[in-house]
Amino acid sequence: MSHFTRAVVPRPSGFRRGVGALAATLLTAGSGWVLAAPAQAAGTGVPASQPLVMLLQDRVARTRPDVGARRIETVAARRPLTRVRTVLPVLGQATGGDGRSWVQVRLPGRPNEHKGWIPTTQTRRTATGWHISINLSARQVTVYHYGRAKRRFRAVVGRSSTPTPRGDFFVEEALTLASRDSGAPFALATSARSEVLQEFNGGPGQIALHGTNGFSDPLGSTASHGCVRLSTRAITWLARRIGAGIPLTVTR
Amino acid sequence: MSHPIHVTRAGLALAVGFALFATVPAPAQAASVNLGTAAPFVALGGSTVTNTGPSVLNGDLGVAPGTALVGFGLPATVNGSIHANDGVARQAQADLTIAYDQAAAEPVAPANDLTGQNLGNRTLTAGAYRYSSSAQLTGALTLDAQGDPNAQFVFEIGTTLTTASASSVVLVNGASPCNVFWQIGSSATIGTTTAFQGNLMALSSITLNNGASVQGRALARNGAVTLDNNVLDASACAPATVVPPVTTPPPTTPPDATPPPATTPPATPPAATPDASPSSTPTATTAGRPAAAAPQPSASPSAQSPPASRSTVPTRRGTAILLRSPRAPRLPRAGCTDGFSATVRGREIKRVVFRLDGRQVASRTGSPFRVTVKAGAGRHIVTALVTFKDATRARTMKLGYRACAAAVLRPRRGPSRFTG
Repeated sequence: MSHFTRAVVPRPSGFRRGVGALAATLLTAGSGWVLAAPAQAAGTGVPASQPLVMLLQDRVARTRPDVGARRIETVAARRPLTRVRTVLPVLGQATGGDGRSWVQVRLPGRPNEHKGWIPTTQTRRTATGWHISINLSARQVTVYHYGRAKRRFRAVVGRSSTPTPRGDFFVEEALTLASRDSGAPFALATSARSEVLQEFNGGPGQIALHGTNGFSDPLGSTASHGCVRLSTRAITWLARRIGAGIPLTVTR
Repeated sequence: MSHPIHVTRAGLALAVGFALFATVPAPAQAASVNLGTAAPFVALGGSTVTNTGPSVLNGDLGVAPGTALVGFGLPATVNGSIHANDGVARQAQADLTIAYDQAAAEPVAPANDLTGQNLGNRTLTAGAYRYSSSAQLTGALTLDAQGDPNAQFVFEIGTTLTTASASSVVLVNGASPCNVFWQIGSSATIGTTTAFQGNLMALSSITLNNGASVQGRALARNGAVTLDNNVLDASACAPATVVPPVTTPPPTTPPDATPPPATTPPATPPAATPDASPSSTPTATTAGRPAAAAPQPSASPSAQSPPASRSTVPTRRGTAILLRSPRAPRLPRAGCTDGFSATVRGREIKRVVFRLDGRQVASRTGSPFRVTVKAGAGRHIVTALVTFKDATRARTMKLGYRACAAAVLRPRRGPSRFTG
């Protein structure tokens, strides 16, 4: 079971991040941890840029920036589908008691939105100005670049029985699909997992943004099993720009 | 019987109208505003000048009578001298006051009273314009010099000047930012990413929001100049560099003896500031900055017959700077990018050839001189070869960048195992 809680009452956009930031601030105030707050773009509420970290080796994620802290999981240095290097959004940074540098990162997979601390050795710091935002009620995908909305696309989102999970995620890897594959020509595999389907089509119930090949539901409908379907033109545009580590926010 | 009377009245009105037009001097041409020793300054504050981020100042930076210049270490760049309440800065403030008052005194035709009207999406020709209270710019303001490189634009604003984000001032048909003056009764706020042109002269403060650029100057008399990741470039306003400095005759208009032309009473350009000179103009500044003592000599409206030598000697007034948008990431230790626009801005630019790692990717012969750079993996160099319309020597500017690891733009093949 997931160890995080999700509010079920409607709330304004940004509430989650606001509470999260407040909690993180309170949490870190006494411990000396430093948050690497992304630069916020005026007006949009979307960070202008997001620090990222690329893993050069498998890393163990822990609950605190301390080698003695509880181990959450081992994060593989490469993603399972395409073997590209793993790139994770950085949420904070700190110096451990032993003087080592740590970063708090968002982790892929279940439970959704979980995060942990990894040492910065055998990693490389990068950053991105891209950000994808999905509004489920509007069935719309907005792509931001350095805090500015660059494109908006209509989308098919999850139906009520298999909803698209909400929260803060990231793109794990971008894929070129075979032309006969469902969802071709491209897919952006995300760190989000279906809350309903633990497994699907041989995969772990992974949520992706992909094309509409093999699907007939109109854009703007709620018909998927949780994935976000986009027109071929839209997913092609995204695949040419969006790679591993790009943050993704899904809101009601 | 009534017809003749009407005709007579109409004729009288017409005659009066003609008489009025004949007696009121055509207000279209505003007189030149002389910045004096404030001309070399691209940012001059009264109390403080504060900067955040990697601002670039192509010109001098100063403050007086305050002393605080904050945030001008790295990553900011000041391509000029810095004067913190020294004699140069104090004199520049004195000259700024004169220039400010001079601009405020420019006569404005009633038709040029724009009070209450937005400056955006409007084209104005040379002249003096007035806002009795605040002025707002939303969108693009075009200033059309109609082929006159000496055309003067003076805006007399009673209180505040505010520009919305991404607004712009566009100069066409020979208009120069050096000849655009914004006299602001209180403060100016230039919105995010606004591309502003001209000389801001504010009684109190000037604030440039993130990413705004000013081709011209930001000069505040009493208050602060606040910068945030901006480019201020007054290099185009460096006095016309006539190369070589052939037998430059002393100012053709006698500074004191001969009264200036009646139509342009306050402007006697070559003699610097007639009111403040001669004792108050420090010669040190003049000496330290060749030809800077005569600010904007080419801006003189009374220069209807410039020296003959000037038209024959090739000028080298071209300037160029290479900018990237968005600018380099402001994150510590994350100097990478996943794509940006490289833009060359400047004066007298004829052509810009962009190359990426030595391979030509674009050639531009008209503004905007811009190319979009998509990041491939690794480190790269964008070069811009700039050639100018005048005799300015061609320049090559470089801009290096490192692509973010996340910029994987060619997705690999993989299986479709998603929830669909």
